[in-house]
Amino acid sequence: MSKITKSSTAEYFAKNLQQVGFSSPLKAVLTTLKEAVDNSLDACEQHEILPELEVEVTKVGVGSTKNTDLIKIVVEDNGPGIEADDLAKVFGEYLASSKFGRGQCSRGQQGIGISAATTWAQMTNAKGVQVISKTKGMRKAISAQVDVDIKTNTGILRNKEMIDWKNKSNGVRVEFLMDGRIQLNGDGGLLTYIEGTVLLNPHVTVKYKLADADWVKTERVSNVTPEIPEATLPHPHTFKLGEFITHSHLYGKISLSKFLKTGFSRISDQSIKDFIKAGMPKALADKTLTSMSEEDFKKVFQAIQATQLMAPSTKSVLTVGEEALSKSINRLGQVDFFSVMTRKPTICDFKPVVVEVALARFVNRGAEDQPVQLLRFANRVPLQFDKSGCAITWAIESVNWKSYGLAQPKDSLPLGSYVFAVSVVSPFIKFKNASKETIDASDELVEEIRRALMQAGQKLSRHIKHEMKEADLERKLAHIEQFGPILVEKLVLIAEANDSRRKKAEDGLKKILGRDSEAAMSDLEDAQSKLAEQKKKQAKITGEEGEEVVETSEDTAEEQSKKTETKKTKK
Amino acid sequence: MALLKVRELNLNIPKEAKALAERMLKDLESSRRPYLEAVKTSLDNSEYNSKVGFLTPGDKVVRTELNVSSVQKLARVVFMLEILLRNLDIGAVNTKRELYYICKGLIKGNARYKPLDFEDQTESDSIIDFIGDMLEAYREELNCYANDRGGQTYSQQLVVTEALPDGDKATVDLSTLGTSPFQPKNRPQSLKLKAKKKIDFCLVVESEGTAGTLQSMGFTKRNNCILMGAQGVPSNGVRGWCKLIENQLDVPMYFFGDLDAYTIQNIFRTLKAGSAASLIRNSDFSAPNVRFLGVLPGDVKKYDLHTYKVKENDVADARSLKKAKDALENDPFFKDKKNKDLSDILRWLIKEKVRCEQQSYFMVDPKDPIKTEKIILEKIKKGDYV
Repeated sequence: MSKITKSSTAEYFAKNLQQVGFSSPLKAVLTTLKEAVDNSLDACEQHEILPELEVEVTKVGVGSTKNTDLIKIVVEDNGPGIEADDLAKVFGEYLASSKFGRGQCSRGQQGIGISAATTWAQMTNAKGVQVISKTKGMRKAISAQVDVDIKTNTGILRNKEMIDWKNKSNGVRVEFLMDGRIQLNGDGGLLTYIEGTVLLNPHVTVKYKLADADWVKTERVSNVTPEIPEATLPHPHTFKLGEFITHSHLYGKISLSKFLKTGFSRISDQSIKDFIKAGMPKALADKTLTSMSEEDFKKVFQAIQATQLMAPSTKSVLTVGEEALSKSINRLGQVDFFSVMTRKPTICDFKPVVVEVALARFVNRGAEDQPVQLLRFANRVPLQFDKSGCAITWAIESVNWKSYGLAQPKDSLPLGSYVFAVSVVSPFIKFKNASKETIDASDELVEEIRRALMQAGQKLSRHIKHEMKEADLERKLAHIEQFGPILVEKLVLIAEANDSRRKKAEDGLKKILGRDSEAAMSDLEDAQSKLAEQKKKQAKITGEEGEEVVETSEDTAEEQSKKTETKKTKK
Repeated sequence: MALLKVRELNLNIPKEAKALAERMLKDLESSRRPYLEAVKTSLDNSEYNSKVGFLTPGDKVVRTELNVSSVQKLARVVFMLEILLRNLDIGAVNTKRELYYICKGLIKGNARYKPLDFEDQTESDSIIDFIGDMLEAYREELNCYANDRGGQTYSQQLVVTEALPDGDKATVDLSTLGTSPFQPKNRPQSLKLKAKKKIDFCLVVESEGTAGTLQSMGFTKRNNCILMGAQGVPSNGVRGWCKLIENQLDVPMYFFGDLDAYTIQNIFRTLKAGSAASLIRNSDFSAPNVRFLGVLPGDVKKYDLHTYKVKENDVADARSLKKAKDALENDPFFKDKKNKDLSDILRWLIKEKVRCEQQSYFMVDPKDPIKTEKIILEKIKKGDYV
């Protein structure tokens, strides 16, 4: 028999880095940047600090692996800083996280990403990550190199020294040197990542230098740090039997009924009575968890699944909000027009979810005959790979965009110089893989995203229709001016008529076509007033009138248009 | 220069055009919307009577009334009409493509005409067709001629006399041309036909190549006949030429082509009864007496001919099947009882989902180079055609 060995978590990930986003030189750079930025933003949010990031990704030499460059990735923040004792854990140990399974909408969840980046740097350039950190309580900043000890899954600090750090009171700076390649644009591009992060984080100021380009600074448009909702307890209907039993082990020697009430959301005394009605043996309720057999757990679990429970609370999700999104979208370029939609939090597959959509047309971006640029987000983190398998893409393709005035090939993304940003926030997002690149598509989730898209699409169509009417009028007026005189001229010629008849005919023509253009004009006015109505609402949302509450999904675009119509008839 | 008449026409085109312009001008002067009307040239306005023998127009008209959307088309129509009238006046002729460039030249010379400019020839073609349909005049009567295509003809008996525009006459004895074909111009109406000896039949072959092969192997030497290649869907020239042969020589005419829906529907039907697009001209551009010699469904079995499967999941095949079904439901030609034998072939094709090419006769006896000729003659003799 061959010898069975146990390997450390670090060993497992070191061999399977492709599973966590390090499957190619391009992805390695993007994933490292992403993990570092995620950590900075999460830390700032938890300490209610308005984040100021400095990001630098540049090529500094030739990589050790074939066809790669040596890339320097630096991310510096003004976050709370990391205590010296925690540095090794944070950067050099897998699954050492403050966020694991908490049921909060943080960007990071498990504590794999940044350690994997350290591993990649170490494997390709024989050096882990260079970290500078300072908390408010530290007199001097600590500077050190962190490596991963693969055999034991622990972090090792090297070259530790205390330094003076640019008069900074607190913050973290990480610097990776690793093999990789830089791609700026396109789905997997670094710039696409930065833009996505900028869009969904209106409170972030970021200064960045990518490749050979100059430094760019994007200022924050909101001074409010997002309030991270309290973590929620899991809902029992989201569990499988195995998970249910494992979950019970966390609670030790307490009674079953107490475990159910404290370990889950939406279970009350009444629910326990209902479970008994649904077939849970009454005697089990007071039995301690430790004395329960697997058979007992199964009976309890089955009864819970058979009982109707209140849907989980939606308080645990957070939104960027239409106001902030509206402002943030202008940071991506010159916006022609846009529409944003924040849905009310809802439940999909027993998990609280909120969907936000921003659709915008830009002046100098994209092309008429190219698919729209799609930015997907899960918990405010851009998703940049495997677009075709994602719930968001499915939802977009299922909408008939033609009815909103956009061109759309069958079963595909619509075309045009638009950016479609779709964000899904949930404490329990189901990803298809550990590298968090696509959201698993359940029917309920796709439907929820689809609704958000349709509402945003309706708002967008006001702008498009107005534009079309405008073009139509212009075309009609031009037609009259251009073709009218030629028609008359040639008729006069063929009929061998005189000049006075020509003048009379020209006057007649003007009268006839004038009637037509008046009709077109009134169509345009109609579209204009509808748009004005919407813009007024938009203005309210973006806070120009102060305390107006952010509109939610209850007031759908459809209803809005109905209101506009009724107002008109009243006139 | 004296113009050749295509038909005995009681229509004075310049006069008609002037009256039309006059009417439109009057409408404009009194602020009424002027309009143009043309025969609707589509299948839903086609009628078929087997006694007449070709598709004729129904009552439907296309009416274009002046408004902001149609002002461009109306301006283009009168612009083109003026060019055509000038051509008629001075006796100049042009092809559609030439007219397209004449328009371009005029537009280039005058900035005011710029908005009229045609992006491609299809745009100017449709204006020319509309004018023809509007005046119920043939394109040829507007001095606009199509390029020659098809109609390559071989015969040892046929003599053609052409009346030339300058009053001269040219005589062509086809027997002197060897393996070179005689090709009628797209004005077959200016030709006079004479048979040196009684002509037994006229055979129109879909493939020009196969017609050439038959000729090379001595088909017209052995038979008193006219042999013609159609080169796919018969052009106006071919259709007019067949009509002329029918009118002047009174010989039975047979068509030999592929056994598939496209040949029956597009090629043969157009030759026999004209097309929906040319409703106003079918009377002079169709040969109602032509018979379909083959390939017939019966031949496939009799000679064990190779066939191809028509696949429903193939886009082109599926489209042709659908078109065949449509023809059975909507085409008055195939709905007519008199043409039941032809619609039966369509039904057979839809049911069997196969097609068979004319060249498959060459597989019957591969070592006999004139086997195809023998089969054709046998079919004519036995009356094996529809």
